[in-house]
Amino acid sequence: MIKGWTGKRLLIDLSLQKAWSEDIPAGELRRWFGGRGLNASYFSQHFRAPVSPASPENPIAFAVGPLTGTLAPCSGATSIASFSPLSGSPVYSFTQMPGHFGASLKAAGFDQCVIQGKADRPVYLWIDNGEVKFEKADHLWGQETVETTVAVQEEKGDRGIEVLCIGPAGEKQIPFANVIHRLSWTGDRLGLGYLFGVKQLKAIAIRGKKPITLQDPKQFLNLCLALKDQIHKGQKMRKLNEDGALSLLGREDRRGARGAHPWLPTRSEKQWAVSLWANLSGWESCFSCPVHCGRNIQHEQKCLGGIHLEKAWYLGPQIGVHNGEWTLKLHRFCQAQGLDPFLTASLLGRILEGIETGTLAEEDRGHLEDIEDQGEKAFALLRRMIDRGKKEFHLSVPPASENEDLDILADVVSFCMIVVNRLNLMTVSNIIDLIHGATGDALTIQDLHETVSNIRQMESRLQNKKLHWNDQSTLLQLGKGQISQILKKEERRNVSITDRTAS
Amino acid sequence: MSAISIIPERCTGCQSCEMVCSLSHEGSCSSSLSRIRMKKWEEISVFMPTVCQNCEKPPCMDICPTGARKRPPGTDAVVTDEKRCVGCKSCIYACPYGAPALHPVTKRTMTCDLCQGQPLCTQVCSTGALSFVPEGDPSMERKRAFGQTLFHSMRTR
Repeated sequence: MIKGWTGKRLLIDLSLQKAWSEDIPAGELRRWFGGRGLNASYFSQHFRAPVSPASPENPIAFAVGPLTGTLAPCSGATSIASFSPLSGSPVYSFTQMPGHFGASLKAAGFDQCVIQGKADRPVYLWIDNGEVKFEKADHLWGQETVETTVAVQEEKGDRGIEVLCIGPAGEKQIPFANVIHRLSWTGDRLGLGYLFGVKQLKAIAIRGKKPITLQDPKQFLNLCLALKDQIHKGQKMRKLNEDGALSLLGREDRRGARGAHPWLPTRSEKQWAVSLWANLSGWESCFSCPVHCGRNIQHEQKCLGGIHLEKAWYLGPQIGVHNGEWTLKLHRFCQAQGLDPFLTASLLGRILEGIETGTLAEEDRGHLEDIEDQGEKAFALLRRMIDRGKKEFHLSVPPASENEDLDILADVVSFCMIVVNRLNLMTVSNIIDLIHGATGDALTIQDLHETVSNIRQMESRLQNKKLHWNDQSTLLQLGKGQISQILKKEERRNVSITDRTAS
Repeated sequence: MSAISIIPERCTGCQSCEMVCSLSHEGSCSSSLSRIRMKKWEEISVFMPTVCQNCEKPPCMDICPTGARKRPPGTDAVVTDEKRCVGCKSCIYACPYGAPALHPVTKRTMTCDLCQGQPLCTQVCSTGALSFVPEGDPSMERKRAFGQTLFHSMRTR
């Protein structure tokens, strides 16, 4: 077994109600060194052609990287892949879910979890340190996500377990439904809620307590401490703390670069932010992350888990809703029902545009034109869509990021893309150093470059796309970090940390 | 009197403290090997780290049948003597915080040893939920924070 990994793949068949584990060859782990590559390689080994998303054969694969579940900063992401229901013909899709689920999966003893089959009645999975049980979920069917999470935790008598669940939208097999855990972290842009709903899988509850061993704990500890310090004291973090997490919004969403409030060019957007801010309290963060980009909401005397400002933007000014109250109501509805905020926003935007321009069919328009407030209109529209269980939609997936290679690299080793790519708080050489400390594999930037290119090729084969691979990757130019100097400084200043570390 | 001061309102539930504790004490990452534990209630967004408070009159020391729980001279931390501990778990039940934990391998109890005066959990905690107070009044920051909240609420009334 390579250090940093567990070397096991958990296979679950819901039709047979059986679960078993198999070893992942060490060569495969070394070759892909992360969740996205493992998923892509599993799919390309087992599927020659795409299968229908609604069929029992369609697997949902969760996988983590070598640094998930360790002290490495911002290493809380999980890679998820499946054949997605969001396009007309089934297509291989993948996404990254931040949060705590991946860390729990790894601590339960698995690097990858593949769920296949279709249960004949509602079930939820209970993974307790490597043991898998299929529990009846009839009493949970129809419950909202908050109730489901609490009910599963109470049933198992442990509030510490992580629950990944779907809401009523997923049960109704609405394509843009998604999964949610800790009532805050979601796997977006894949239609996971639909896939769970088809499989009649209400939730996955995980308790992971197994230790994750590392090749060089002392080196790893020092590296992580230095990196956390670097991230925490960085200018961008200070800006983040001062400006609020809106500075995390995508470059395409930020307008204006100067002034005291660079993200608020218009008055209505400013009002929106102020009315939203009034309901925010406290922060929330992914596993082992010093950035803390989630905000808790206090709305109508109730606490509603985390909101991420990117989602707030999508359900706010992006679709013309300039009232923070309605943004929160929309978000709360999405959270309770288990809807994907990005896809919901993109769909709502299209329909609202259709109402305004009069291009929407008469029967779909209803009486919505009479409603003055854009937020109220959006909310009424969404509610009607969910209640009717409408399933035919055409959605556009948001544009890919500027530096795709860096995104893939972050995804591959299960790092947070925002931290690595948008904020550039972590360089490629930092990632290489961390992997070396955890697994003992000495990688070079060239190796990472090759892996990223291999994964891209494998994924484009799965998606039947022709990839125009040019060697102008930015990955090779990036990654000149000063971590070694920082480490030397740290060691000089604080030698005792190294001495105290147990070997 | 040195202590780890906890402000639960600031905790975001990232579990960095658990990871750094288990990594520095045991050389591997796991919340079950950590001396500090994060408790969560996600539906009300409450996260709370629990750690040994190194009480002035420790109930764990009183109840320990073998005298394994003790405060070594020169330190403020109440620790378990592994040679004497029999793993009876009395200290876990006696502690009002439930802070001692059973080591999953050695089956002895373990509590915070304040890392010989430089607790790593307080160094990685970037929100200020955990802070190390080497001497003086550990509750001073708490008092200040409360005073500020009170002042703010009075001003906005």
